[in-house]
Amino acid sequence: MMSDPNYDEQTIKRYLLGVLSEVETERLDELSIADDGFADALSAAEKELVDSYVQGELSDDDLAKFKSHYLASAVRRKRVDFAKALQFFGERAGRASVAAIRETPTAAAGKKGWFSGLLTLPPVLQWGFATVAIVLVIAGGLLLLQNIRLRQQITQTQARRDELQQRELELQRQLENQRTANASIEQELARVREESARLEEQLRSGKSQPLTGAIASIILTPQLRGAGQIKTVTISPNTERVAIQLQLEPNEYSTYSVALIDQSSGQSVWRSGRVKATGPGDRKSLTVRFSAALLHSGTYRMQVSVIPPNGAAEVVSEYPFKVLR
Amino acid sequence: MSNVTQIILRALQLECESCSFRAWQSMPELTKKRDWQLSPSAFRELLRWLDQGTDSEGQTFLEMRGRLVAYFDRKGCPVPDDLADDTLNRIARRLQEEGEIETEAPAKYCYIMARFVFLESLRTQSKKESLRSQIPPEASQGDRNERETRERMLDCLDQCTGKLDVAQRELILSYYVGREKVKIENRRRLAQSLGITMNALSIRACRIRDKLEECVLRCVEAK
Repeated sequence: MMSDPNYDEQTIKRYLLGVLSEVETERLDELSIADDGFADALSAAEKELVDSYVQGELSDDDLAKFKSHYLASAVRRKRVDFAKALQFFGERAGRASVAAIRETPTAAAGKKGWFSGLLTLPPVLQWGFATVAIVLVIAGGLLLLQNIRLRQQITQTQARRDELQQRELELQRQLENQRTANASIEQELARVREESARLEEQLRSGKSQPLTGAIASIILTPQLRGAGQIKTVTISPNTERVAIQLQLEPNEYSTYSVALIDQSSGQSVWRSGRVKATGPGDRKSLTVRFSAALLHSGTYRMQVSVIPPNGAAEVVSEYPFKVLR
Repeated sequence: MSNVTQIILRALQLECESCSFRAWQSMPELTKKRDWQLSPSAFRELLRWLDQGTDSEGQTFLEMRGRLVAYFDRKGCPVPDDLADDTLNRIARRLQEEGEIETEAPAKYCYIMARFVFLESLRTQSKKESLRSQIPPEASQGDRNERETRERMLDCLDQCTGKLDVAQRELILSYYVGREKVKIENRRRLAQSLGITMNALSIRACRIRDKLEECVLRCVEAK
């Protein structure tokens, strides 16, 4: 079945909200039936959209379109009802499992005739049992009081833990914003330094010829569901540099390294230093630049690895593309 | 013939007349073609053509029918199920009449036929009659009605999650825990624990949810 790499989550969302052009809508209509990868992506994106609506996470604009377009169909309204029920069910199931953990096993009810059996015993044994019973009742009462106190402590601790978790999330958000801002500034600084060094070099060598070479800019998206033909990039003879923006799937890392791999030999032909992701929230991307001379006609892939604070680099994404010269 | 194929065949034999009838009612000028009925042999031929040499035990047919229903629904058609059946019936008829259909891929041909059926339905039905204008979004259900529907759905969800195997039940309940960043982090951990990518996890959760949704909607309708 045919595949088309020219769609992303945003396009699919706009398609579901009915705001794409007629031509684009028709193209995605076709993919929704004829392309397995797109059909999977569409199904997943639709569920995410419905969940976002149910959880009140849609922007005002999207919310208005969702109400006017998506909810116009009875089938889709049922889907929203189901999403609401599923969310409520999940939350209830979560609460129930917590309650089950907290619940202490209750003593089984005594069997019939147990007490009347005691009355048939000799008086000495009857008194003995009575004493033991009184001791057990007192001990039981003390345990019950202790249990109540412990439960109160647990409730207070849980409330405190919830507060701390909330605070932690808030701090993480602030930290993330700060990191994003820092990364942008660092990238800008690096670019300015690079430009400055280049101009200085030109001045030193006396060759103040204007730059004639062009820069090829490419945006690569993560491969959806592993399907689809790869993107083809044409490099013209006067292209000196290649800038590639790699759109990342959501994850918690902020520092990456990128390698350019020649698919035919499996060899790495270029490797970046540490690269910071930029962009808001879960739409982060990496931008890398290298000499166009590294690329010949053939198939390559950009291999993105994360660099955990304590550990070896780990490959998280690959972006294949084809080069034509 | 596999069990699934036999089940589909039986269901189709039962439903065929009524669904075709509904579809044709909405397209009166096409009644000339009503004489043709989907026979078991034509249906088997359709399954074979869709499978293209592999035996999916009717799964390809069900998947394609689901995609067609969703397509007609997105196009605002009031009876998407009927139009999807009509599309597949026409393909089966052509296969029976011509023996083979020359196409790049069966799914692509299904789209071409679906688009034709859609345009035809537009010609016969005024857009004013579309469901979009008849039912104002969300306004038709009162709070009480919504609560009752919710309660029924929750009962059915209880039943239907009970029918899933343990691993599927745990996955679907864990997949939808949390919101925004917490939800993403939770899914990342879940994918790690299962040793699969986030994309693979998303597809797996999607399939389970589809199965659950189908079971719940059927259960709610039966109540």
